[in-house]
Parts: sequence; structure tokens; C-alpha cells
Amino acid sequence: MFAYIVRRLVLMLVTLFGISVIIFVLLRIVPGNIVDILFDAAGFVDQADKANLEKELGLDQSIVVQYMQWIGGLLHGDLGYSYVSEKPALQEILPRIPITAKLAALALLFSASIGIPLGVISAVKQGTRLDYALRVVSLSGLSLPSFWLGLLILMASVSMFGTMPIFNPNPATWTEAFAIYAVPAMAVGFRSAALTMRITRSSMLEILRQDYIRTARAKGASEASVNYHHALKNAVLPVITVIGIEAAFLIGGLIVTETVFNIPGVARFLVEAIRWRDYPIVQNLVMLIAVVVVVTNFTVDMLYAAIDPRIRYTD
Amino acid sequence: MAVINYDSELRRAGAHSTHGWRKLTFLARRHMLGAIGLVIMVLFVLAALLADLIGRYDPLSVDSLQRLAPPSAQHWLGTDAFGRDVWSRIVHGARISLAVGVGSTLLGSSIGVMVGLASGYLSGWVDLVFQRITDILQALPLLVLALVMTAALGPSLPNVIIAIAIPLIPTVARVIRANTLALRELPFIEAAKSIGMSETRIALRHVLPNTLAPLIVLATAQLGSTILTEASLSFLGLGIPEPYPSWGRMLSESAAEYVRVAPWLVIFPGIAISLAVFGTNLFGDALRDILDPRQRG
Amino acid sequence: MSGVRTLAAVALSLFAASNVAVLAAEPKKGGILKVHHRDSPASASIHEEATFSVNIPFMGIFNNLVMYKQDVAQNSLDSIVPDLAESWAWSGDGKKLSFKLRQGVKWHDGKPFTSADVKCTFDMVMGKSQQKFRKNPRKSWYNEVVDVTPSGDFEVAFNLKRPQPSLLALLASGYTPVYPCHVSPGDMRTKPVGTGPFKFVEFKANESIKITRNPDYWKKGLPHLDGIEYNIVPNLSTAILGFISGQFDMTFPTGVTIPLLKDVKAQAPKAVCVVAPNNVSTNIIVNSSSPPFDNLDIRQAMALTLDRKAFVSILFEGQADIGGTMLPAPGGLWSMPKEMLEKIPGYGPDINASREEARKLMAKAGYGPDKRLAVKVATRNIPIYRDPAIILIDQLKGIYIDGELEVVETANWFSKVARKDYALGLNLTGNAVDDPDQSFFENYSCGSERNYTNYCNKEIEKLFGEQSIEADVAKRKKLVWEIDKKLQEDVARPIIYHGRSGSCWQPHVKGITIMVNSSYNGYRYEDLWMDK
Repeated sequence: MFAYIVRRLVLMLVTLFGISVIIFVLLRIVPGNIVDILFDAAGFVDQADKANLEKELGLDQSIVVQYMQWIGGLLHGDLGYSYVSEKPALQEILPRIPITAKLAALALLFSASIGIPLGVISAVKQGTRLDYALRVVSLSGLSLPSFWLGLLILMASVSMFGTMPIFNPNPATWTEAFAIYAVPAMAVGFRSAALTMRITRSSMLEILRQDYIRTARAKGASEASVNYHHALKNAVLPVITVIGIEAAFLIGGLIVTETVFNIPGVARFLVEAIRWRDYPIVQNLVMLIAVVVVVTNFTVDMLYAAIDPRIRYTD
Repeated sequence: MAVINYDSELRRAGAHSTHGWRKLTFLARRHMLGAIGLVIMVLFVLAALLADLIGRYDPLSVDSLQRLAPPSAQHWLGTDAFGRDVWSRIVHGARISLAVGVGSTLLGSSIGVMVGLASGYLSGWVDLVFQRITDILQALPLLVLALVMTAALGPSLPNVIIAIAIPLIPTVARVIRANTLALRELPFIEAAKSIGMSETRIALRHVLPNTLAPLIVLATAQLGSTILTEASLSFLGLGIPEPYPSWGRMLSESAAEYVRVAPWLVIFPGIAISLAVFGTNLFGDALRDILDPRQRG
Repeated sequence: MSGVRTLAAVALSLFAASNVAVLAAEPKKGGILKVHHRDSPASASIHEEATFSVNIPFMGIFNNLVMYKQDVAQNSLDSIVPDLAESWAWSGDGKKLSFKLRQGVKWHDGKPFTSADVKCTFDMVMGKSQQKFRKNPRKSWYNEVVDVTPSGDFEVAFNLKRPQPSLLALLASGYTPVYPCHVSPGDMRTKPVGTGPFKFVEFKANESIKITRNPDYWKKGLPHLDGIEYNIVPNLSTAILGFISGQFDMTFPTGVTIPLLKDVKAQAPKAVCVVAPNNVSTNIIVNSSSPPFDNLDIRQAMALTLDRKAFVSILFEGQADIGGTMLPAPGGLWSMPKEMLEKIPGYGPDINASREEARKLMAKAGYGPDKRLAVKVATRNIPIYRDPAIILIDQLKGIYIDGELEVVETANWFSKVARKDYALGLNLTGNAVDDPDQSFFENYSCGSERNYTNYCNKEIEKLFGEQSIEADVAKRKKLVWEIDKKLQEDVARPIIYHGRSGSCWQPHVKGITIMVNSSYNGYRYEDLWMDK
């Protein structure tokens, strides 16, 4: 077990290292850099000024040196400076994290509280019309683009209330807070809810087919007790796994949702930073996302291994 | 996640396929939703193929007198800010979505198959290297990776296909590798080896055909998400550039500007995306049930 | 349509009406004005940027030497008033402009303002100082200035190579604030310090910009507002909804497109909306140094086939101006008369006749229905660039040219243009000041950095100088018209239209004047107030 954990940790570091190299190189093969963009607003590029600015930002150095500087800084907790705002990257990224984290947490809460019960009902009523209807709903959840859903919500909000939520970091009332956070969270969480429901359903069905459930039934346990006490408890593990992994991957949905709802979170910040070729922001943000994904995967696997002894300690 | 053992299902899938048309009609009746999905997919492909016939208007043609016209007999789904016919743009947009969906799925899957086969069959350091690359690609959400890739490559149809295909590679490679590992242990491979067949020949002639079923299941499932990713990229302004009528682009900035004045600009392209993805998802689900019963829900 | 006509009427009546409306009531004190902002500017330093996304929120931090009177809609030499300079005087030979400076003015950090600050500012803009701007987009405005010499703490003079009456117009622009000597350019980008009515509070990228009342402002009793908050909302429909539902007191000035204006008027009938020209021209840059547009016939055919009215009716519902390089009247001061304009190929009233002629020219160049010419039309990946490009491509079809749109990311646009890696490009040119000196030298003189097409005609260049020296406005106008006409006939950089856009505010906001011949100069906002 210990050797397994160490092995996984080492692999984790290898993965993160690989990502850092790939993202670094990818960003630098992008045609045009921050200097081009800064000059763009000026309406022309002055070659001498451009060279000066590239030097000031360290862009004239070789890619290897730039990479070493970045990683060296990272190890000391120094993320560099944003090219655009000229503030420390950490200072730009940190305040935006809670906004996105709140949205993600609400979205997950929403997806679990909708997805798990519906999944259970769908499994228990397998083959009925209700099951069919729920399956279609969940598939549609996986099919609607979340930005479209967001736009529809905004349209509905305007036609019903004559207004729409505009982000405000300190909502004054509960309804405002609800509109600002919960509505976008639902738009992005709809997909996760659909996914959770599907996994819950198939996981429940799997368990319901197991011998010990049959035994419980044979022993005369009530249908409700079998379904909710025995089966659900055991079906929950894969569901948690999926929610865990989904948590890390929500960032994709949040990028578009934060754009639609104009929320100044960290996900939209990534898109803005890519547009500006603000390397220090992009590379650190991508690393942050990768760390979240990798650590979540690791934790989920460890939980799995701890709970289910049948897991083989290999790849 | 949990490794799926496909081998028994594979043989069963192979057996099923010999039953022919009668089996198919039976399947269609048994998998109503899947059949509906297939119909949607076929309609979607037909729209793409026959776009010039059913489009009624040139999707790029500007008409200053018909700006933001609401849906009517003349313009079924209304017109956009340039007076371009929305219906024509949507049926032509099917070509873009189809090209991106099929293109990136095929590209991603074929690379994934090669990587998976090589990784599973050759083992050793090849496997180790491929596994690490797979890890790296899987540690970033599809959209994040595709975003950085399109930014690096520039917005154009081939580049978007590549940017979406690359993040697909690891998923396919993982499944193929797991299958290959399982197949490698099977007696008929042992037999092939013992009569002196070359490794490459065994991999291509015996292992590959036997991984087709899970591959098809996976590719169908991916098709929907590639279409969605293209729509998201185009929505963010990093996907297919104007004037090509990509559905995601139709929903982006300029359309969002007219949410209130011309809601049809937001509603119809969104329905097109959702329906296309819904169709592939329905079909993909049924296909999985048929080819891969262990996953059946 | 009647709504549109009313709006047009409002726009035109603004020339006269705005002053009266402002004076109607005694200003009230206090309140934070909430304004929409369309995008997140690169920095807060006006001298280093070339977009009114920076001028609008930050102009109130500063003072100029002189400025355009903020409640006169049409900028001209006659509407220039003192600011940090109490008075100014030209020397007899027109080669020296001296200013008497106001005494007792303090920077926001408490340091006194002196003539040294003026010298520092303009030395930096002219690229002569030790400390440098990262980028310096308006250096060429001061090509004729030899140096800036202070005499004592409160007098300063600009010495010129030759007379240039328009220098004063450039100094009055919102682009020309006076910067403090003691604050580095880097700090000016992130936390600017000025002498103006508002102090900088914070600038959160993609989120908001906040400025607050300067209690020690040297104009006693001003500003009326306690502060201004700019909320950055890139999605225009979201922003408009915010305005309609009352979350914003004002839209981004010039930020409402004509199609959306109708929606605003319908949903918020009490809102005050004004449509005005932006003095931003949409034009085509033509690469005449390589095939196919090195052929004058093809260039002229293209100029002939442009249906400018169609552009204006699609994109502006008829509300934009057609003209040459200089902004057309009534907003613009320097545009040629209509009869003169209509004689230029492509500007005539009969578009079908022009296109027939264009097809003949194409046939002469060897193209026809069976042999079409394929070209790429490059433009930037921004709607205001993309949208007209789509229409241009549609119009080119009629003269056997199959255009393909090539959208270029912001990061690559200028290097592409500089490499001449385009056949046709669709471009926007903003004019900060409605003055020929600014637009001719910048965009058409040989070797200018912003002369993207490298158009170079020594004869015309001589005329640029002649009009610049000319002190008699009537004579100067004649010269300017002649130059403008030649530029269009040479198809140097065909102008398609001069756009207009709307600005809206809630009825309780008082004292706003939207300028009719510039989008860069009217945002000091010290006399704005809210009636609530």
C-alpha cells in the first residue's frame, strides 16, 4: 500500500512536469505575443519600442531560460507578474478563485441533490415510462450546450422579471445572491446532474443484481429497505468518484458560463489571459487546473483503494 | 476509472453481427430511443449533404432589406443582422459540425488506436512513455486544452479539428490498451504467435478487429462531445471563423447582442446543436447496450 | 422607422439644445455615477494607449494645458478653453506657442504642479526623456515641435519648426493630459496620479474601474459627483439590459449600436439617448504593391462597386455618414461639399451605372463571369471589423471577385499588415481630433508608422504641409478638400463610411454632452450631476 502511494505520487509529479512543459511550449508557438497586442491598441508596431518591451518582460531570452525562471519562481511561490496589469500573478489569480469555487460548489450540490435521487428512482423503476422519461431528460442534459442554457435563462429572466442578474461581488439581498450565484450554477450544473443521474442509475442497477440484495429480499426485507438501505449505500461509491472527477472538469463548463453571465471568476480570466497572451497568468492558471485535476484523481483513487480492498495496486 | 473487461462481450458482439437485417429490425424495436437517435443522426447527415438543395438561400448572401426579419414563409427561421437566412445557415452549419465531429473523432480515435495498440501490445518503455503522455493529456479538461491549442494554431476548420482531436486521444488509447492487454492473453493470439506470425501482423490482423466494438461505442459517445466543444470554442470566438455558419459562432457575441430584438437568432442554432448532440447520444447509448452489454443500464 | 427619425432629430438638435438643458436647473451634489464599460483596457495610462476605452474612465483624473469646452458638442479651435494654462499666446511668426500656468494646483499626492511637469510630459511624449513610455502612439503629433521650454515655474513655451496653428487642437484633446514628473510611467499605468476632479481608486481587470471625488480640486465646487464606477461588461446585450433595469445610470458613451437603440427606447422610454458620429472611419486597405491590386483598373473597379448606402443601411439603419477621409458635415468641420464628393468615382448617385463601369474595367483586366478573381479579405476578429467585411465580400461578387474572409487575431494583425501579407484588408481608423493635421500626416504621409498601405505621393505630401501652415481657415478648407478628393481618387485607402452610435443615460443624469466630431475628448465629467 505504501509503495503504491509513493509510486502514485511520483507519477503525479511526472504528469505535472509534463503539463508545465507542454503548456509553456504551446503558448510560445502561438503567433504574436503580449507586446504585439499591447502595441495593437497604439495602431502600429514600433520595432525599437517593441524590442525594448520584449526585453523588459524577459521575452527576448531563450525559451529554456524562460522556462527555468518560471519553474524556479514557482518553487519559491513566486508566480511572476501579469504582463497586462503588471501586478503579481498570484494577486490577480487568488481573488478570482473564491468566485469560481462558489459556483463550482453550488453546481455540484445542485447536481448531487437532483442527480442522485432521480438516478435512484430511475433504477428502481427500471423499464417503466418514468424511467424512460428520466433517461431522456438526463441525455438531454448531456446534449444542451451550457452557454445556450445560460442564454435561455437570461432571456427567460428578462421576459419574466424585466431584469437579469448582473454580477456584484457583494450582493445586498438573498435574492440577489441567489440570482448571481445559484442561477449560473444551475446552468452549468445541469450537465453534471445528468451525468450523476446516469451513473447513479447504472450503479444502482449493478448492485440490485448482486447476490446479497437477493438474499436480503429473500429474507423478507421490505422493498424500500432493500432499495434505499442496502443498495443505495453501496451504489454511492462510484457516484462519488464521478462527482469528484466532474468537480475538476467543471472548469470547462464554467469558462463559457462565466462568459455568458459576465462573472469575473478564474475560468473566464483564463480565456481573457489567452486572448492577451498574458503568459504568466495562462501558464499558472493551467497548472492550477492541472493540480486540481491530478490531486482530485489521486484522492478519489486513494479513497477507492481504502474502501474497496479488491483494487489492484498497479496501473 | 475501473477497467472494463470486454473480451466475452466482444465475441458475443461478433456473433450478433451475423444475424443480418432481421436482427437489426428487432434491435430497432427493442431500442426505440436508439432508433430515434439514429433517425436524428441520419437527418443531420442528410441536411449536411443536401444543404445546397434544402438551404433555399446562399448562407453567406447579405440582404440589406431583410435584416433581423422574424420567421416567415419566406425565411422559415428568420434572418440575422446581415439579412442572411437562418435556416440556410443552420443546414450549412450542419456541414461544419459534421466535419468537426467526424473529423476530430476519426483523427483522435485513429491516433488513439495506434497509441493504445502499441502501448498495450509492445509494453515496456513504449507503454510507459505513452501512458505518461496520456496522463498529461487527461489532466486537463477538454475545453481548456482545446482553447490553448486553437490559440496556438489559429482559428480555422482544420486547426479546430486538430485541437479537439488531441484531447480525445488518451480516452481511446486507454480503452484500446486495456483491451489489447486482455486479448494478448487469449489462446488464439498465443496460437498465432506459435505459428510464427509477426507481432505487427498479429496486432493489426487479430487484436485490432477485436477491439472494434468498444471503439465504435466510444467514438459514438465522443461524437456528441466534439460537436459541443466546437460550439463552445466558436462561442468564445476561438473556433470556426466568420463567415462560415458554425452553430456555435451563430450563437456568439453578435447574436447575443440581439437576444432581445431577435430571439430566433439564439433559439434555432441552439436547438440545432442540442438536437444533433442528443441524437448521437441516444444512438450511442443504444449502441453501447447492444455491443457492450456489461455497461447496460 | 419614425423612432429612428426622432433619434436622428435628437442627434442633430443636440448641437443647439444641450447647453440650454444643462443650465435649466441648479446642480445637486453627491452620488456615485454607475457607468457601463465595454472592455478591459490594457492600462490606465492615457498617453500609452490609443482607444477611448482608456480616455473615458481616466480623463477625469487629469487636466490638460487647454481643453475642448466640455458642453460644446462640436470641437473646434473656437471651443478651446483654458485648463491648467490660464492663457496662451502665439508669437508673431507663428513658431512659438507660450502658456501661462495656473498657480496653486496640487497633484493628487499633494505635490505642487509646475512648468517642470509640462516639460516632463511632452519630453516623454516626444521620446526625449530618460524615462520612456512602453509605447508611444502619438509621438508623431509633435513632429513639428523642436522643444518645450519652461521659464520660471509657471510659464512654458512650445517652439516649432514651422507655424502649426493646429497644435492647439492636439493639445486640447483628451489624449493630451499633463502627467506628473515625479511618478514613473509604470505607476501611471497601474495607479495614475493627476490634478483632475477625480482621484484614482482601483482598476480590476475585467471587473471594474473606480474613481472618487478629489476634495482639493482647484476648480472650487467641482466635481458635483462623489465618484464614478465603471462596470466592465463585454457582452453588449447584458450591458443594455443592465441599463434598462436601472443598474447603470449610463451606457458606455458611444456604446449603443443603432439596432439596439430601438430596444433601449422601447424598454426604457424615459432614457435620454443621443446618436452622434464617432469620427472613426471604416476603410479598405489595399495592397497596391503586389498583384492583383497593383493594377489600377482593378483598384478603381473595386472603388466603383462599393455601395456605401447599403453598408450604412445594413449596419446603421441609415444612420452613418458617407464621405472622404475627413468626417462629413454636419458633425465634421473639414469635409468637402456634396457636389464635389459625388464626382469621385464610386460616390455617384447611380450605383448600377458605376458597377457597369466597374465590370468593364474588370473585363479590361482580364476578368469576367467565367474567369473570376479570388482574393482574401483580411480583417480582425472583432464584430465592428468583421461585419462590414462580410458585406464587402458580398458586394465584390458583382464584379467577379470572390472574396474570402480571413479573420486575424488581434495579436497578429499589425505584423501581418506590416509584412504586406494581405490583398485587401478591412480597417478602422479613429480620429481623436477633427483636424486634417492629425489624419493626413498619420495615415497618408510617406513613412508614417500608421500609414499601413505605404501610400506615398510626394505631391500630395507637399499639400499636407501647405494646409498645415495656413492660418486662414477658409483657404485651408479649400486645400483640405482638394487633398481629400485626390486621396480618394488614388484609391489609397477607400473610405466606406464614418460610423455613428448612440449613448444613453437615465433622465436623472444631467450635464452630459456627447461630442459630434470626436469620441476622445469629452469625458472630464466634472460638471456632471444627478438629480435624485
